[in-house]
Amino acid sequence: MLTFTLTKALPGDPVLSMVGERAQPEVVEKIRREIGADKNVTEQYLGYVGLLLKGEFGRSYYTNRKVFDDLVAKFPNTFKLALGAMAIALPVGLFFGFISAIRKDTLTDRIISTVSVTGLSVPVFWSGLLIMYLFSLQLKLLPPSGTGDIRFLILPALTLSLPALATLSRITRTAILEVCGMPFITTARAKGISESKIRFIHMLKNALIPVVTVIGLDFASYLNGAVLTETIFGWDGIGRFTMEGIIKRDYPVIMGCVISGTVIFVLINLLVDIIYHYLDPRIRIR
Amino acid sequence: MKRRYLACFVALLTCLACLITSCSSRNRMPGYICYRLGTNPTTLDPALIVDVTGGSISAKLFNGLVKIGDDLSVQPDIAKKWSVSKNGLLYTFTLKQGVYFSNKREVKADDFKYSFKRILHPKSRSPNIWIFDKVLGADDFKKGMDEDIEGIKVIDDYTLEIRLERPFSPFLSLLTMTAAYVIPEEEAEKWGPDFSGHPVGTGPFILKEWLPGREIKLERRDDYFGGKARVEGIIYRIIPEDLTAVTEFELGNIDLLTIPATEYSRYRNDPRKADIISSIKGLNTYYLGLNCSKHPFKNAAFRKAVSLAIDREKILNTIYERRGRLAAGPVPDVLRKWDMPRLYEYNPRTARQIIREEGLEGLTLRFYVTADQEVVDIAEVIQSYIRAAGIDVVIKQLEWSAYKEAVNRGEPDMFYLSWWADYPDPENFLYPLFHSSNHGSAGNRTRYANPAVDSLIEQGRHTLDEKTRNALYRSAEEIIVADAPWVFLWHRTDFTIRQPRVKNYKIYPIYSMDKGTEISF
Repeated sequence: MLTFTLTKALPGDPVLSMVGERAQPEVVEKIRREIGADKNVTEQYLGYVGLLLKGEFGRSYYTNRKVFDDLVAKFPNTFKLALGAMAIALPVGLFFGFISAIRKDTLTDRIISTVSVTGLSVPVFWSGLLIMYLFSLQLKLLPPSGTGDIRFLILPALTLSLPALATLSRITRTAILEVCGMPFITTARAKGISESKIRFIHMLKNALIPVVTVIGLDFASYLNGAVLTETIFGWDGIGRFTMEGIIKRDYPVIMGCVISGTVIFVLINLLVDIIYHYLDPRIRIR
Repeated sequence: MKRRYLACFVALLTCLACLITSCSSRNRMPGYICYRLGTNPTTLDPALIVDVTGGSISAKLFNGLVKIGDDLSVQPDIAKKWSVSKNGLLYTFTLKQGVYFSNKREVKADDFKYSFKRILHPKSRSPNIWIFDKVLGADDFKKGMDEDIEGIKVIDDYTLEIRLERPFSPFLSLLTMTAAYVIPEEEAEKWGPDFSGHPVGTGPFILKEWLPGREIKLERRDDYFGGKARVEGIIYRIIPEDLTAVTEFELGNIDLLTIPATEYSRYRNDPRKADIISSIKGLNTYYLGLNCSKHPFKNAAFRKAVSLAIDREKILNTIYERRGRLAAGPVPDVLRKWDMPRLYEYNPRTARQIIREEGLEGLTLRFYVTADQEVVDIAEVIQSYIRAAGIDVVIKQLEWSAYKEAVNRGEPDMFYLSWWADYPDPENFLYPLFHSSNHGSAGNRTRYANPAVDSLIEQGRHTLDEKTRNALYRSAEEIIVADAPWVFLWHRTDFTIRQPRVKNYKIYPIYSMDKGTEISF
């Protein structure tokens, strides 16, 4: 309801975008009536809820296509991109964070910290273009844009993974350093367990809870679309679809994207909560 | 424990493998020409198209009774010939025989009647009603008061009559527009609102695949009545980002590219690219709209002062990098068949003097622009010129949808816009933009009103003799220029670049002229 009200409160009239540059006022009014934009917000909201109860998201004002069909068509692309970005960010971020923690205050730690802060600070539209320039235009290794097989996926996934990789590296480092000082690590050492076993099993596993939280949040946000990355690399995902809907005030598209995005967010968070239990048996699922 | 980590690693690899194998590879298709689109076309249903992207694709899928020729005159398309009665009210079209839709059914006069009625139908959501509202009985039909349109009559399978309410000189030009394309009733009724995704027309290509937001593939029809296309098909790739499109072009993945403003000087100054760059004088006018319904632009002297205060030539030569011609009035130089009106020369002293005399010094004007960087750059220069004349200007950037609503409502004092030809007739740059019946969304966004101009434009629209019509339009344009509701900026020239392998490429001033049959490798 909040999204519906906020969307309607935005300045801009969808009908004016639909009718082009030359439309008689009576045509504007007629189309407004056709799409129900002449009704008050409460009536429009109830109409939309009625549509949702029938299992529909309505049709786009502009393309006249069913919003649900478009979402279904675009979601696999967004999922691939999110998975690709995580496939890069997760191992590299964990590795950097781990190394950075066990080599605390060394040159390695400083280098990794600098790289991480840079990764967090560089905007995606700049890193994306730079990556495209290097790998596509100069090295001619990968296609610069398009939606398709893994060749098309690598560059946008790499671009999208950079901030997540940097965040994961920082979080992992902090979490491991926190775990390092815990009594159970001292106990493990006193029991004569090898240092590598302590680091990989006792420290890393116990440090994973905040890391999993970050992964869950990042993954969920990627599944709701990465507008800039999708735009730069011409990747046909939910992000661009949502953005186009917002720009054109295509309310059925905006609502469809927000509702599906909310469901995805809730589901991912549920999954994260379940994973907590396996990482830390003290957390019970009831 | 080790086993568990190994299992995780194997699971990760499996995920990656699934990811790779679930994808399909895409390579360039031989014989297919590849174009770039900046945005997804909203629809391919001729009745609903209002965007250039949709219009340029539909031109390859459909045909109308008539089309625009290379000299911008009206030429036969599906109509073999036509005649116009002496009073200019009755148009009789004789159709070519043997023109087929892509569903293999022959086009008959009934199909045109259906297509035109579909736009005017009371339940139609078409924004293009204005194209046919001149037809006799159209008004009653669109209001649901009549079941048929009195003015459209099918005489036989190949003869169609259209009777107008009043003579309307550019009527044939209107019939070249995408909304006047013919579609088969059985397909339109079968698909309903989904006809856009399953377009069936008479054009040289058929829609093979449309992946919204990604790619559109058209395939050549070998039985096209106008001679089959030289390429196997056309692929439109949707690439929103200009720099990405340029990279794709540089790598040879795109055959043709409209040169983005940011890359213009780089390509233009490269002598190796001279042979592969084409340009065309666009049928458009860029303008600074002055809201004539509000103080201080109600005052014509103040409007003139603003026109004199801005050095348009300098902006055109610097920020705009000479990608256009200076505008003397609203009608583009290419369409004007009379002498050019006198230009407003840059004269800051006179501008300041007028402003002082009118007692309008120290005012603050609200200047609305879109967030487009080029527009913002131009707006800032205009702001500095007007400030130098003693008037403060506050620039307000709005996102396109909000901008359009504010401008249509008459909210800003000044705004920056352009107008592009729907059809090549001076009337298209006069009636919608300056007639007092078109305030707001209909085109006259400056809310300019002058009964003398209204009368001249109306006479011009209903006069059949071309000489007399041009004289009327000339007078109307002179008054408009003198009244200065716009600061007439420039007419943009479009530039495209193509791969050296592309042959027989021609650039057109109106998107609907390009049927895609000439271009080859």
